[in-house]
Order: sequence, then C-alpha cells, then structure tokens
Amino acid sequence: MPTTSDPAAAQALRHRCQAYGLRIDSELELPELAPADPAADDGPADVRIVFGAVERDGPADGSARAIGPILWARPGALWLQVPGVAGFRVEDGERITVDPDPAADEDSLRLFLLGSALGALLWQRGATVLHGNAVQVGEGVLVCVGASGAGKSTLAAGFARRGHALLADDVVALDDAGRVQPGLARVRLWQDMVAQLGIDSAQLRRVRPGLAKYTLPVLQPVPQPLPLRWLYLLEAGEREEPVVTPVEGLKRFALLRAHAYRPRFVEGMGLAAQQLQACGRIAASVHVARLERPRRGGDLDALIDRLLEDTARHG
Amino acid sequence: MAEAAPGSGGTVWLASYPKSGSTWLRMFVRNLLADGERPADINAGDGEPIASHRPWLDGVLGIASADLLPAELERLRPRAYDWPAPSTAPSAAPSLRKIHDAYSVADDGSPLAGRGAGRRAVYIVRNPLAVAVSYAHHRDCSVDEAIDLMADPEHALAGDAEGVRGQVRQRLHSWSGHVRSWTGAPGLDLHLLRYEDMALQPGRAFRGVARFLGLPFDVARVAKAVRFAGFDELARQETHQGFRERVSANSRFFRSGRVDGWREVLTPAQVHRIVEQHAPTMARLGYLDGPQARRPRRAAVPA
Repeated sequence: MPTTSDPAAAQALRHRCQAYGLRIDSELELPELAPADPAADDGPADVRIVFGAVERDGPADGSARAIGPILWARPGALWLQVPGVAGFRVEDGERITVDPDPAADEDSLRLFLLGSALGALLWQRGATVLHGNAVQVGEGVLVCVGASGAGKSTLAAGFARRGHALLADDVVALDDAGRVQPGLARVRLWQDMVAQLGIDSAQLRRVRPGLAKYTLPVLQPVPQPLPLRWLYLLEAGEREEPVVTPVEGLKRFALLRAHAYRPRFVEGMGLAAQQLQACGRIAASVHVARLERPRRGGDLDALIDRLLEDTARHG
Repeated sequence: MAEAAPGSGGTVWLASYPKSGSTWLRMFVRNLLADGERPADINAGDGEPIASHRPWLDGVLGIASADLLPAELERLRPRAYDWPAPSTAPSAAPSLRKIHDAYSVADDGSPLAGRGAGRRAVYIVRNPLAVAVSYAHHRDCSVDEAIDLMADPEHALAGDAEGVRGQVRQRLHSWSGHVRSWTGAPGLDLHLLRYEDMALQPGRAFRGVARFLGLPFDVARVAKAVRFAGFDELARQETHQGFRERVSANSRFFRSGRVDGWREVLTPAQVHRIVEQHAPTMARLGYLDGPQARRPRRAAVPA
C-alpha cells in the first residue's frame, strides 16, 4: 500500500471526495464517492482516512472494551479487525486509520471501510445511523430497514430503475433535524438479483474479488439532505400480495432503535442515550409501517407500487 | 435480545440434517419448559436463532457476513459462537441452538461449532428413506433430485444460488457424511436421538433427551410436553396460523409425521439407490434391520 513521508508526495496521494455532507481526504482512492467540489476545496477536510498501524486486538493500554470477537470500543473510538483484510481504527468522528493485511486488495479494504468503519464514524459525529436504504420520493426520503438478506438493496435498485434518486445503500445517516444525508449512490446486489433486474453481471464490477456480488452504480446523486418522511420495515411473509401495516405508538420508537446501524457500536461507544433521544424525535414525525413482501416469487414493481401508494396516503 | 454464546455455558447444539425432526424436538423442549396448560405457540420466538442466522452473525461480528468470502466466514463463525454472552444470570435451563451445518473444521483448525466450554450437542437422525421424501417436499423438487442432493458431498443450504439470503451458506456434505461428521466429532458430548424413537417410543426417547439437557424428566411432565408437541397439534397450529419456518411453496411444514410413509412413495429403484449410497451409515443406525433391510447387514465397520 502506498505510504510516504514526503509532504509533496503525500499531497499528491490525497484523494478529496465527499459523502454524507463531509469533505473527506483519503490516502486510499475512493471511486464510489463523489469528488469534492473544487470550488470548496480549500480548507481542512472534515474526515481523514489514512494508512497506518492499527493494534490487532484493540488498544494495548486496555482503554477500550472488547465488544465482540473482532470489535473494541470506548466513547469516541472503535477498532475493527477483519482477518485477512485489515484493521481499522475510527476516532472522534474525524479519522479512520486503515492497516491492511499484506495480501489485501483495495476493493476489499473499501468494502469494510465504507460500511462498518464509516458507520462508526458517523455515529461518532452525532448522526443517527440506520441499517437500510434511502430513496427519494417527491421532496422527501423513504427509508427501508430490515434484516440482512430481507431484500432492501433489491428494492432500492427497483426504485432507482424507476427514476428515484438513491441517497444511501446500507448506511443511512440522519441529522438532528431528521434529514437524510446523501451517502454513497450505489447498490450492491447478488448475482441472481442482478439477473432478475435484467442486467448482465459481466458489465458490472465485483464488490471484491471472489464474491459474486456486484456494484450497480446509480447515476442520480442527490445534492443535499432531504427530510425523512417514511420508514418501512421490510419482511418476507406468507401472503401472495405485498401488505403494508402501520406501526403505531411506542412500537415506532422500538423499531427505529432496533434497526440502528450496528447496535453494538452504539453501546460500545456510549451513545445509547443519544440514540434514544434521536429515535424519540424521529419517531414523532415519520410515518412508520411494516411492509410484508411475498416470500416467493413476488413482483418488484408491484411492491414498489404498493409502497408509493402508501407514501402518497401518508405524505 | 439475549445473545448467549452457543457452546459455552448453558447452550447445547441441536444438530441435524434437514427434515430429521429437530423442529419437533425444539417444540417438545419449549413445551417441557413452559409446562403450561395449553400447547406452546409454534411461532413463538425461542431465544437463539439457528447458527446460520445472518443478522445474528452480523450483529456479533460488526460487519456484513455477506461481504465475507466463504473461507473467511468459516474462520469467523466459531469466534462468533464462542463470544461470551453479555452478563446474564446463568439460568437453570440450557439454551438449545439449531444447526444444520455438517460438523467441520476451518482451514485454521477451528471447529465450526466453536470451542466453548463443555461442548454439548443433541444429534437427531432419521431414516434417509424418509428424509428423501420429506426433503423433496420441502424443496419443491422431485424425490430423485432429493436423493441426488443427499448423496452429494458438496450440497449446501443457502449456497450461492437464489433466495434464502437470511442465512449464511451451510455445507451439509452427503447425508452419510453429515451423520459421520457429528457422531465422529472429537471432544463433543453428544446425545444421539433417532426420529423413529421419538415417534414410536416417545416416552423413553424424550425422557432421555430431557435428562441429557438437565431438564425435568418426570413421566407426567414429559408426557404432557409430548402431547403438546405432538404432530397433530403442530399441524393444527400450522393450519390456523402458518409456520414461519416453512420454505416450500406447495407443502406444509408439518406434512405427514409418519415413520413409514416412504414405503408408499419411493419406488424400489429409489429405495435401492438410497440404500446403496448410505448402507454403512444406515446399518450403524439400525435402519437396515428387520423388514426394511434390502441387503444383508454388513459386519460392523463404523462408517
């Protein structure tokens, strides 16, 4: 991996880009992110991503607590160790240090950097981060949450195909005002979903070598944050039609909390109270419902139609 | 949600090839523990999800398991299972955790099921002649296709192919290989249970497993749990409210519950094929004894 102590060369290795309303300086190239606006290029970056040494078993001074077999955390900092790929240290919402394993390729580094590491950083910056996808509907945002494997990315790809802009796939960041920040405008899909959408996977880039998962670029980036209006929990069900069931009262709050991005990170970094308050505020102003999709077969467009019907009724 | 680590402390693996009766045993344990006035709900949440449950794994690891290569996932799963629970009071009742994976060891030497303290498992086995029929219904395929899958050492659930993305890939090996992998696993305190004994001698079979699990095993309590988890009751509940573990589009999960239904379904050629493919293991388990035998029982060489 390129590293250097020559300041001029270091300058040249810096890639300036933006996502989630942040100006990011990165030593690792990040082609998925939009380049930073050259007019606003002066001034320090909000976030720096650098190569450097990261302790493999959390900080040696024991200042962080192990919160999982490959995770350590304390308020303001998180360590993630992906064996065979890299160690990541995320600090104070400003800095991510990447320590690649010798054979690690850049795609693999980016995958975990732009997922778990970036999610941790956004939490540290005070955002409320949800595990889901965010698409633009009218002047607002629809966020779909659900268990891993529930079909959120396929749904997002379907929306994109119908002309809706995509704000985020996987890591959804909300600010204090309940607005969704534009993140990475791409979806990642398994081979069979790509085929289902009628796309030739040979035209697409693999997410990382050895994985039959592909990146579908979505060419409708959103320039600014938009208000979250609708939140749907996507689940597979036994019925043959999509069914939308509103979620009321305290259950809305519980649903939001349950679909935080990496709940363990929240606990480990002492952000539970912050998250509770934020979820309370958001739950008060957002339409929340369960969306049950047919477990088998099921028409993606019919599902989207049903959702759009519901958003129109609860604008 | 409690996140106890399977294989450590009070967790016992409930291992089986698919369609071998593990759900039935889980329902029995649920009813035994509840000791209620009415049968327990078949759709009630049980605590720990199946070992291959993707959201659980992602939660413990803090990354998307879907972003891992197969070899990476195999090395990380044992670490997830061995991760100790957040402090919860040790409870008297062990937690039963379902797993369909064949017992295996990753390339770094870690057993898939982890190395947790006191590794205990109940392994349920069922006559492959019956499994073939049940598996065909479950997968909405022909019996011949099911037989092929059961003979295929590379067969896996939730593999790269379609659909069940909510679980990670589970390598099953062949049916015989699956049985060998668990019954031959070193260092495992294993209780072997046959589906047929659960069906035909339930008192003894269920009391035996209750004792192994450290659960109450007095006759009356066990008998009530057996009744509340009986096939008729489970099927009745599925009719009324569905069963969330049902995968087939066409067949019910609690479909037949018979031990010898395969006799009316399998052709002689199919029976012959299954017995040829799995004879040594079938013999070890007593499936070639008596009228079911299609060939002389081999001199005992454990498969």
